[in-house]
Parts: sequence; C-alpha cells; structure tokens
Amino acid sequence: MPTVRIHPTGEVIHLEPAETVLSGLYRAGYSYTVGCRRGGCAICKVDCRSGEFSYDHPIADTVLDEDERTDGTCLSCRAVPTTDITIELRGEDVRLVNPFLRQINEKARLRAEALAAAPAGPTTQE
Amino acid sequence: MAVMRMGYAHVRVTDMAEAKDHYANTMGLYETHSEGNKTYYKAWDEWDHHSVVLEEGGVGLVKFGWKVEYSSDLDEIEKRATAFGVTVERMSKGENPEIGDGIRFTTPSDHVFEVYHEATCIGTEVGTHNPDAFPRHLVGVGVPALDHALITAEDPGLMDRFLTAVFDFYPTERVQTSLDSDADIIATWMTSGNQIHQLAVLAGPNSKLHHFAFRLGDWVEVGRAADLFSMDDVPIDIGPTRHGITRGQTVYFFDPSGNRNEVFAGGYLAFRDRPMSVWTPDALGKGVFYHARELNDAFTSVLT
Repeated sequence: MPTVRIHPTGEVIHLEPAETVLSGLYRAGYSYTVGCRRGGCAICKVDCRSGEFSYDHPIADTVLDEDERTDGTCLSCRAVPTTDITIELRGEDVRLVNPFLRQINEKARLRAEALAAAPAGPTTQE
Repeated sequence: MAVMRMGYAHVRVTDMAEAKDHYANTMGLYETHSEGNKTYYKAWDEWDHHSVVLEEGGVGLVKFGWKVEYSSDLDEIEKRATAFGVTVERMSKGENPEIGDGIRFTTPSDHVFEVYHEATCIGTEVGTHNPDAFPRHLVGVGVPALDHALITAEDPGLMDRFLTAVFDFYPTERVQTSLDSDADIIATWMTSGNQIHQLAVLAGPNSKLHHFAFRLGDWVEVGRAADLFSMDDVPIDIGPTRHGITRGQTVYFFDPSGNRNEVFAGGYLAFRDRPMSVWTPDALGKGVFYHARELNDAFTSVLT
C-alpha cells in the first residue's frame, strides 16, 4: 500500500487501499486544516513533492484550476496516492490529536514494509 | 408588494448519485422530477413543485428563486432593479420545470436571482383536509422546508441597500465595524416578513455560497439531526449550537460535494418596527457560535 511522507518532519503514514491522503492523516491520529472534507471548499490543499496520485471524484474547476491540476497541488480530501508520495503541508503542520492511532498506523506501516522486503515465495500465514 | 420566501435553491454537485443519497435519504427530501443532469426536490411541508434543485457538474450556487405574492410584483421588482442599475431579463414559463413566467437578474454580489409568481402546487405530505401533524414515514432528518441562505459579497452594505430597494426586505440584525453612523456593514440578516431571515449576506468574495438552510422545529430535532449526520458520515462543520444572531439553533454540515448545509430551528419573530440588533466584531464569535464564542477558521474561509 502507498505511504504518505510529510515533508519536512519526515512522518510516514500508512494508507489503506483506495484511502485519500486526508483520511490517512486522520486515521493515523493527526488533524489538519479542513473544511468540507468533500472536495468542494479547497481548504485542505497540500503540495505533492514526489509520487503520483489520482482523484476519486470529479473536482470542480472552481476548486482546482488548470495549473493546479499539473503543478503538484493535491486536494488532500480527494487525492488517492497510486505510489508512495511525499507531501508538504500549507500554512501549518499536522497536529497529533490521537497518539494511539499513530501507534497503530506505525505498526501497520512496519508490517507492510517487512512484507514488501520479504523474499518472494509461497505466502505464509502471519 | 411582497417577496414571500426563498422558493428554491439551485446548486451544483460533483456526483449526482452521492448527492441524491444525501438530500433524499439523510435530509428526507422528496424527489419530484429529474431531467438531464438535474434533480428536483421538495420537503414534506412544502406545497410547490420544488425547493431544491441539484445540477451535476461543479459545486456552489447556480441561482435562487424567490416567490412573490402577486404577478404585478414581477413588474414592480423589474422596475426597482432596473432603477438600481441592474439588468433584468424576462424568463418564460417552463424555463424552470413547473415554474411560471418571471424575471432574472444578477445581483451586485454576482448571484443569480429568479423571481416568479406561479409554481405547480403538489401539496404538502399531510394535505389540507384535517391534516395530521407530520407524515408518519419520514426519512432521515425529515426536514419540513427550505428556510434561508447565507451568501458572501464584497460589499454587504450594497447588498443590504439592494435587497431593501428591490425586494423591500429589511435588516433584522447586522454586524458592523462599530456603532458609529458611518460604520461599515460586515454582515446583514434580511427578511420580508416575520421570518428572522430569508437571506443573509456576509463580507467575502462575490458569487459564493456560504450555506443554505433547512427548517427544523426545536433543539431536540436539531440534536437528532446531528446524530443522523454521524450515522451517515456527514461532515459536521459545527454544532449543535446556537447562533447569538437570530437566536436560532443550528448544525452546519456539508453535502457530499462540499456545499455547506444547515438545519436551523427557532429564531425570534421579526417585525419591521422592532429595533435592529447590532453586533460588533469584538463579539462576533458569540454572535455566530453562541456557546463556543469564537469563530472556527472555516466560517469565513470555507465557501463554494
């Protein structure tokens, strides 16, 4: 599964399949500047520094203009990474509001990394 | 001359299937018509054909419809709007399904208003003959009616004058920079009758929608609506809380495209001769969110 790395703090978030960037941040215990959470208000934009993502809903032209569709602007509530991505937040950093979720996400990320690093072979039960 | 009420709010949605699920199954509106990329709804205690129109493609406001009491009001409003310097066009019966002849203009705040006198009457869900108090099988929140809207404008004072001159609205409450006579108007709550507000205008970019609101009866219904929003994963902006301004009880929340909705209960009776309430920016937090007493950052920045 893709991960989201937050620049410059280096925090790495593990995403579930088809999960948006914003949803991943919240599921890992973090909070960020959000408005409608439904792609309409444009408040939760971040900048994508590396990696690829796509949008899981049509995005209105009033929310993302033509330039913003190619310049790395990432509407976090609707952006689903297709590779590992690194994002830079705008204006403020994420705030950790639930440390227990962060621990759970960290374990999930380490498990996924270990699985990816394991030599290919017959699947075994964890 | 009388504008009776906001007859319809016509908004854009990015995904019609999700929007229909929200407005029908969570809000409890009744679908009355659909054609092309538009779906039409009414609430249970409304009698005209529709009060909410969803149009697929984009987000934000397409237009508001205002229903007047007499057909002669259309001529009068056309005259007044033209005198104010606004270009008015005639709209024909059927341009909006089940809506009669009317006029259309763009306000100084770049919002499109339509004014009409006739709409096909479907009737409320309880009828008129020995009606019951409410329909037994309401869905979700089961809102009875569209109530009001808040829009943003670069010059709310100009919109206050416009709505006064053209619609014969009057302000019930205002936010001003000070109590001085030359103070700037930051926001204004305006109505034509006893409803505490039919349209409010807040300083901000032109042509934007802050929210449109559905009516509820009381605190208990507002609290139950918020419970249903949690059940249906509807993002809540704030509430349940009270507005200091209007005294209404409220939840702000978002539809699946990010348009802000509100459920609104209470609010005191407005009268033209009641002295207007004035709020100053030092108390704006309490004016908008009476319990938290501070604005959230979304209040002025999250618009569609």
